[in-house]
Amino acid sequence: MSPLHEDLPRAAERRGVSRRDFLQFCSLMVTTLALPTRYMDKVVHALSQTRRPVLVWLEFQDCAGNTESMIRSSHPPVAEVVLNLLSWEYHETIMAGAGKQAEATLERVVKEEKGKYIAVVEGSIPTADDGVYCTIAGRTALDIAREVCTNAAANIAVGACAWDGGLVRANPNPTGAIGLQEAVPGVKVVNLGGCPHNVANTAAVIVHYLTFHEMPALDQYNRPLFAYGQLIHDQCERRAHYDAGRFVEEWGDEGSRKGWCLYKMGCKGPEATYNCPSVRWNDGTGWPVKAGHGCIACAAYRFWDWSSPFYKRLPKVPGFGVDVTAEDIGWGVVGTVAGVTAVHAVGSVIRSRKSKLEGPKAGGAGEESKPASPKA
Amino acid sequence: MNAAARSVAQTAVPVPAEKIVRVYVWQWPVRIVHWVIFLSIGVLSFTGYYLYDPFIISRGHGAFLMGTVRFIHEVSGFVFLAAFLVRAYWFFKGNRWARWRQFLLIGREQWRGALNMLRYYLFLRREPESRVGHNPLAGATYTVVYTLVVIEILTGLALFNHALHSSVLGFFIGWLPWLISVQYLREIHFFVMFIFWAFFIHHIYSAWLMGIEERSGLVGSIFSGYKVLPADFVAADPASRRAKGFPVVGPGWAYRRLRRKATAEKKASAVSASMPQTKSSD
Repeated sequence: MSPLHEDLPRAAERRGVSRRDFLQFCSLMVTTLALPTRYMDKVVHALSQTRRPVLVWLEFQDCAGNTESMIRSSHPPVAEVVLNLLSWEYHETIMAGAGKQAEATLERVVKEEKGKYIAVVEGSIPTADDGVYCTIAGRTALDIAREVCTNAAANIAVGACAWDGGLVRANPNPTGAIGLQEAVPGVKVVNLGGCPHNVANTAAVIVHYLTFHEMPALDQYNRPLFAYGQLIHDQCERRAHYDAGRFVEEWGDEGSRKGWCLYKMGCKGPEATYNCPSVRWNDGTGWPVKAGHGCIACAAYRFWDWSSPFYKRLPKVPGFGVDVTAEDIGWGVVGTVAGVTAVHAVGSVIRSRKSKLEGPKAGGAGEESKPASPKA
Repeated sequence: MNAAARSVAQTAVPVPAEKIVRVYVWQWPVRIVHWVIFLSIGVLSFTGYYLYDPFIISRGHGAFLMGTVRFIHEVSGFVFLAAFLVRAYWFFKGNRWARWRQFLLIGREQWRGALNMLRYYLFLRREPESRVGHNPLAGATYTVVYTLVVIEILTGLALFNHALHSSVLGFFIGWLPWLISVQYLREIHFFVMFIFWAFFIHHIYSAWLMGIEERSGLVGSIFSGYKVLPADFVAADPASRRAKGFPVVGPGWAYRRLRRKATAEKKASAVSASMPQTKSSD
């Protein structure tokens, strides 16, 4: 039997994933997907029956951060299971093959597994100057994405760059970078925004697909609701300090040491939706706000442009310098109106004195003639 | 503004006592809405600024300051919304000076009035363009203000639903975060507050200034609803020509006199002579 179509549990066992690890992984996936525990059996059953699905991982304009996030996840042994669960045929950063051999593999997958493999895309796709800013084996990223993603059974865009263009697309976007969905319209994409993606979510999407043969419920950006349906603010462990009105006002101040709310330090928790506080990072031990830094809304749409500056409450006002806040402009408007009003009041007093001296008729003397009978 | 009214305005000081009438201009819904909007904007501004920059840091256990401020902000936001809805209804059901037409620059007469008023403010003209209700420039300004009110309501509801996740509210407002990202909704919501403050300064000043120029009891009228104006001036008001009856409340003889004038006016029925016969062509 071709290793491509090995049974999943056998393959896992052969690679040293114990039954215990496997069940642990399944329970983690069930909780991440917010499924009731009775689905545990179903997930285990489905994954045990499944033949290893083929997966190709395309990297375009990226920092390989999502790959790093994937392979460095350790406990629960997500990476271990996920790497063994799927038949990873192509992944530039971790594959052994190189050059023509590697490209031949991708070609073979697209041809032989047409409509059956899962394509994961990491990184943005440049469109300016015919996409010359990212070429692999002489082909542009756009060209590769079109071919691979249109023939895939499912597409998953991991990380901010593959979703909406991310950092690469941030102003001024010299390469004309866009996300997968915009670059290849028409294909079904599940977007897993975040900088980087959380591997538990990505694994959960794949598990959901293998178990139920469809993608999980998605929001308006085609992001799975189980991961992006909730406000970070509502799940935050510092929320009690927010409601109480206890805020960090300076890095290292009393509030900072006591773990108070980071709202005044520009935390974007009230804006951003993600399951960061519950799934967490680094073996589930922490996440940015727990570590004492505000959220930067990395899973929000085009967050580099629209959620920055990261240490201020409100974004930069378009058309003004970076130092000018909406509040400055607002006070400027109020001050200007107050000043003009004061000057006008003085002018009105002078006018009133003058017309009193000149008599009641003087004001009308300069009037031009008007039609005596305006239209009704 | 027609010539008759202008001449009245020019000779308004001193006005012969027998020509003065009290006019019920601002009906009670208009006045209540005015003061509810004033109070709610005050509360919303204070709490809203605190939400932007929580300048009071609470201490000790059991504090719930931010939660309380948010609650007050949200409740007064809905009071503000309710006041606006009542006013929107009154645009169509209110008296002639509360109707939507007062707030739009429709027709040459309104435009000329607004330009004259602008010239008055720029010291290029001595006489303000007075009306029984709003002058055309003031009406247009209130249209801008109501537009800002709508912007505040829409952005506020969108931000509220960002935390509430209500599918019902989302049905009405869910399209907005699609068009403008949440952070910019916040910025707009915040910035418009300053425009309200600037408008507040101008509003107080211009009411005071016009009150002195017109001697119509303008400032008091938002409390009582009545303005004190020359009868001819009321009869010559463009809004009066469109209305069926005279809402003049005052001495009976003044009312009868106005009715006589209106009947005469109808009899004349010439398009150009759509104003009282007296003083119409000086």
